[in-house]
Amino acid sequence: MSRTRREFIRHLGIGAAAIPFVLNLPSLAHADAKKKQRIIFMFSPNGIVPSTFWPDEVGTDFKLKESLTPLQPYKDKMLILKGVCDKVRGDGDGHMRGMSCLLTGIELFPGNILGGSNNPAGWARGPSIDQELKNFLQADAATRTRFGSLEFGVMVPDRADPWTRWSYAAANKPVTPIDDPYQMFAKLYGRAKDQKALASVLDDLKDDLKKISAAVGPADRKLLDEHATFVREMELDLKEAEVSAGHKVPAIEPGVRKDNDNIPQISKTQIDLMVNAFAADFTRVASLQYTNSVGQARMKWLGVTELHHTLSHNSGDPKVDVDLTKINHWFCEQLAYMAKRLADTPEPGGEGSLLDNTTIVWTNELGEGKSHTLDNIPFVLLGGGLGFKMGRSVKYEKVAHNRLLMSLAHSFGHRIETFGNPNFCAGGPLPQLS
Amino acid sequence: MAGCGLILNSMEHFFSASTTVYLRALFILNVAVLTVSIASAQDKSGETIYKQDCLKCHGAAGEGTKKAPQPLVGEKSPAQLATVIVRTMPDDDPGTCTAVDAKKVAAYLHDAFYSPDARAKLNPPRVELSRLTVQQYRNSVADIIGGFGKVTKIDQRHGLHGEYFYGRGFGGRKPLLDRIDSEVKFDFGVDAPDGSHIVTAPVPEVPKAPASPVTPPKAEAEAPAAVQPVAADASAPKNAGAAPAPKAVAVVKTPEPEPKVFSPKQFSISWDGSISPPETGSYEFIVRSEHAIQLWVNDLNRKNALIDAVVRSGADSEVLSGTIFLLAGRSYSIRLEFSKGRELDKKGLDDPKKESKKASIALWWKAPHGELEIIPASVLSPARSPETLVVGTPFPPDDRSYGWERGTTVSKEWHAATTDAALEVAGYIVARLPGLSGVAADAPDAKTKLRVFARTFAERAFRRPLTDAEKLQFVDKPFDATSDLELALKRVMLLVLKSPRFLYPGVMDNNDYAVASRLSFALWDSPPDQTLLDAAAAKKLSTRDEIAAQAERMLNAPRAHAKLREFLLTWLRVDRFQEFTKDAKSFPGFDSAVAADLRKSMELFLDNIVWSDTSDFRQLLLSNEVFLNARLAKFYGVALPAGGASDTEFSKVKWDADHRAGVLTHPYMLAGLAYPKESSPIHRGVFVVRGLLGMTLLPPPEAVAPLAPDLHPNLTTRDRVTLQTKADACIRCHGVINPLGFTLENFDAAGRFRELENEKPIDVSGQYETRTGEIAKFSGAKQLAALLAADEQVHAAFVQQLFQHIVKQPVRAYGLTLPQKLQQSFSKSNYSVRKLAVEIACVVAQPAKSQQP
Repeated sequence: MSRTRREFIRHLGIGAAAIPFVLNLPSLAHADAKKKQRIIFMFSPNGIVPSTFWPDEVGTDFKLKESLTPLQPYKDKMLILKGVCDKVRGDGDGHMRGMSCLLTGIELFPGNILGGSNNPAGWARGPSIDQELKNFLQADAATRTRFGSLEFGVMVPDRADPWTRWSYAAANKPVTPIDDPYQMFAKLYGRAKDQKALASVLDDLKDDLKKISAAVGPADRKLLDEHATFVREMELDLKEAEVSAGHKVPAIEPGVRKDNDNIPQISKTQIDLMVNAFAADFTRVASLQYTNSVGQARMKWLGVTELHHTLSHNSGDPKVDVDLTKINHWFCEQLAYMAKRLADTPEPGGEGSLLDNTTIVWTNELGEGKSHTLDNIPFVLLGGGLGFKMGRSVKYEKVAHNRLLMSLAHSFGHRIETFGNPNFCAGGPLPQLS
Repeated sequence: MAGCGLILNSMEHFFSASTTVYLRALFILNVAVLTVSIASAQDKSGETIYKQDCLKCHGAAGEGTKKAPQPLVGEKSPAQLATVIVRTMPDDDPGTCTAVDAKKVAAYLHDAFYSPDARAKLNPPRVELSRLTVQQYRNSVADIIGGFGKVTKIDQRHGLHGEYFYGRGFGGRKPLLDRIDSEVKFDFGVDAPDGSHIVTAPVPEVPKAPASPVTPPKAEAEAPAAVQPVAADASAPKNAGAAPAPKAVAVVKTPEPEPKVFSPKQFSISWDGSISPPETGSYEFIVRSEHAIQLWVNDLNRKNALIDAVVRSGADSEVLSGTIFLLAGRSYSIRLEFSKGRELDKKGLDDPKKESKKASIALWWKAPHGELEIIPASVLSPARSPETLVVGTPFPPDDRSYGWERGTTVSKEWHAATTDAALEVAGYIVARLPGLSGVAADAPDAKTKLRVFARTFAERAFRRPLTDAEKLQFVDKPFDATSDLELALKRVMLLVLKSPRFLYPGVMDNNDYAVASRLSFALWDSPPDQTLLDAAAAKKLSTRDEIAAQAERMLNAPRAHAKLREFLLTWLRVDRFQEFTKDAKSFPGFDSAVAADLRKSMELFLDNIVWSDTSDFRQLLLSNEVFLNARLAKFYGVALPAGGASDTEFSKVKWDADHRAGVLTHPYMLAGLAYPKESSPIHRGVFVVRGLLGMTLLPPPEAVAPLAPDLHPNLTTRDRVTLQTKADACIRCHGVINPLGFTLENFDAAGRFRELENEKPIDVSGQYETRTGEIAKFSGAKQLAALLAADEQVHAAFVQQLFQHIVKQPVRAYGLTLPQKLQQSFSKSNYSVRKLAVEIACVVAQPAKSQQP
């Protein structure tokens, strides 16, 4: 049985205070025998254009179509899965179920939210796979991280409903993605930044206290002297925190507003923050949600002037498909950028790059926009986190996506028998992955 | 063993062991341990007698020795002391000290070291440098930030502004109904919310604790067959769904043009305004509804709903709750939105055959000392309030061991809290910077304008203008050091909020601003408002009249009301009450709702007297008016005037003029100072001695469980207590306590009047020794109340306690004669509590030169 680094250090008899220093020593890092595994779920909405998305070939020898060409450099690290279907039915329209059942694999509760068809619905009836994995990893000291999971978003509307949430901590417990990079930054580094600001005013604080002390009578000065000792203690605490922080706080461009036209900028910043968070081992699980199901990005920067969801209702029209392909190509570029950043970042204290130990799962709530089908949900996997056999195009015969979700869990060693609605779990994890 | 605990509580062993010695040295009355071996000393002075006969046990200055460790300090008059000496001294042969000698010794030691004045002379108390108390800190931050917001318009109406719309959605549409709703408590049934359909009764039943939201899905129960609201379509053919129909549209689309009548199947309502919490603490808001709701409190921009249930899902609870910490004496914005959605068929179309679902909504809360109740109109206003920053950083509680909150000590935890709070404030401001400063981040002159903003911030925090040196230190230096404006601002906030200039309000040049600051912390526990700062700037706080005029103005503000009420409850020592549970068999109907009502009734009583024209202190002890709601009236068997028959409205009624008098007979006190089943003359007597007479009592020499009533079925409570406390060690204090408590025996453990106890007549005679050493005898609560209301000692105790509550410093720190002076002015004003508060504020705001801190 392998010991965790922390256990190893404990056995060396080094105090807890020293751990931050020791953990950065490369010679000790190998004491952690088990390799880190990470997973990222990336969402883009409104279905894809099948003819420009799915490769014609199956197997290792396949050709990337227009929507996926940005992934050319990673062709041997990717896995395209066709034939995976969201079979969850029940209350809520296709978009709602497509979104809220995508990672949960289970029906929505009846509720009061009315879509374009079907009965009104509420939230999903169970947790999503990212939260399931988070809980699994957090339960073990060896894989526990500061945050467990991070939920990123890009231009997610400021309302909570089954179209805007895909991550669920539990039944009726949707997780709100953070689509403001500055809010995410504050979550990740706020403490460090605050401490920096505090440290920068320490000398002035001490001066101020001295001045006031000199102005009061000796009896009252005692109280201020006591106060001054606390300031000195704080100074020592801050110095200690600075030494142990280790990880460098990244710089992000200030003043980018939440605005349709800033989507590319926000997307890049969020991906940068995510990669940094992985490098600092703040989390092993992350998700990145572009807009929402029925999302209405207007990708002017691509020359597309129509709204995304509005366009998707007319997929099949060749002119519209050109625009929709451009849109999906852009999302694919974001995936490629993420892969590049991960590939360019060495695995801290380990071998290879972050990408070697991370799998990105790019998906969508619909197979195709016009028909609103939940069949052939796009699943593109990239990276070496799960030990799947990559560099292939795979076609399944209408398998339930619950089985794919189970495969992801099993790759982490989390051997669940079912996930979501058990009726869609027959056969267990998907074959042909490893 | 439970009994031991009770008696311990009753004697209020609330000083921790480590503070006991010190406190005793200062305060504790010693009634019993004068050990004097009296020689023949007829012609000797008191001092000589003391040195000869008392000193060897009590020490040269009454400090105590091993033999008699209790210091000789207390509040008794020389006459009262002499009585004790005659009765108990010398210890080995009580009764051999003559009355004349006892008088001499008593007079000597009283003035030499025993009395508060003597002790103050020996060791003059001073006004100690104090940091902001936690409450003052929170108020300061709220005011500094609040100063950048808009001023609230005052709206005298009570209730919330209700707007009722067709369909879903709220913004930019004309409501079909627009009115003030005094409470949110509606059951629309399956109808539309037209006036005719609005029923205020029955009230939705009291919600149970919110259920866990995660419950397995259940098939929804079919709504009971009700009147079909859409009669015309009720007979539509079964295949109506198959008929071509317009495609269902997205949720929030509003039909055009706006319909002029409600649909029972789809409507929405918003309630908007503000709420004024009666006291500082955690408030739980509870909304009960079957439909989509959202509630925001203190969140004008609606960033984080306190309760967000726009999505109703599966078997989630109809009862939703959220908790928020609020400061008293302020009002907070509140907004509640409700939407009832359409009912549809399988294809998502409005199904005329489907009946309208039931709709109801009720807005409840649980205040810190309250029970779950519909939020009453009295705390609601239709006018909006600006957002307030209520600091969420937890602070260690202030030292209250002297009976008032003191800021004269600091701790590492407190210091850490001020750091966290400063960061919290800085984060809050930076996040709302454009709104608060009026400066857009990318404005060309942002840096100049933010410097002005930063300076204003510092001036608000320091409660005065900055000197040039301070401007350099607190504003220019941080701004010159970086081009990152947010970082510069953050540094300013940290420097200012961590500076002793902010944290210690006493650190100030003694000018008009210092007067303003002392005045406002005295009356509001908050920094000065703009009016007061303007007066300081104009140097209009120099004379007593100018200060008094400001104090009178400030006393009318909600914060002063909150502070005075808090004081009166402290004076009544209600936080020492035992659990308010009564034996269900003896007191059927006395539940937690009654207990909460009693507190409210007491608060109304106190407010009513203090804010009446005369504000007569004596009425607190004499008035036989009481505020009762329907529930209390029923429990206490009082008939309410017509129309006063609700649980939410309290009516003022005269109550049993023969037996009831003021706080002493208010059932909140009587029930609070009692056991679940039996009355407790000891609790009640101790309250009179400590609270009203302001005397300190030693804790009992040992913990004693009260005698069980069942074992003495033939004894009345009075007999039982007498039996239990007859030992010498007990009677020294209980001789004072019991006869006071016995006079209230006409009231049972719930505060109901009774003539008999166990079918035995009740003896309510009592007595106490006055300051002049005479024994005053009386019978029953009314006579006791009359005596106390006229007793200077009661007045003196009240004056001293009010002073210390307001100022948070010992009264004699402002002059040894101040207690007498205040008492004289109290008496001259016919015991006006308000005038006394103004007088105290004036004294502390402008202390004589020699007493300035």
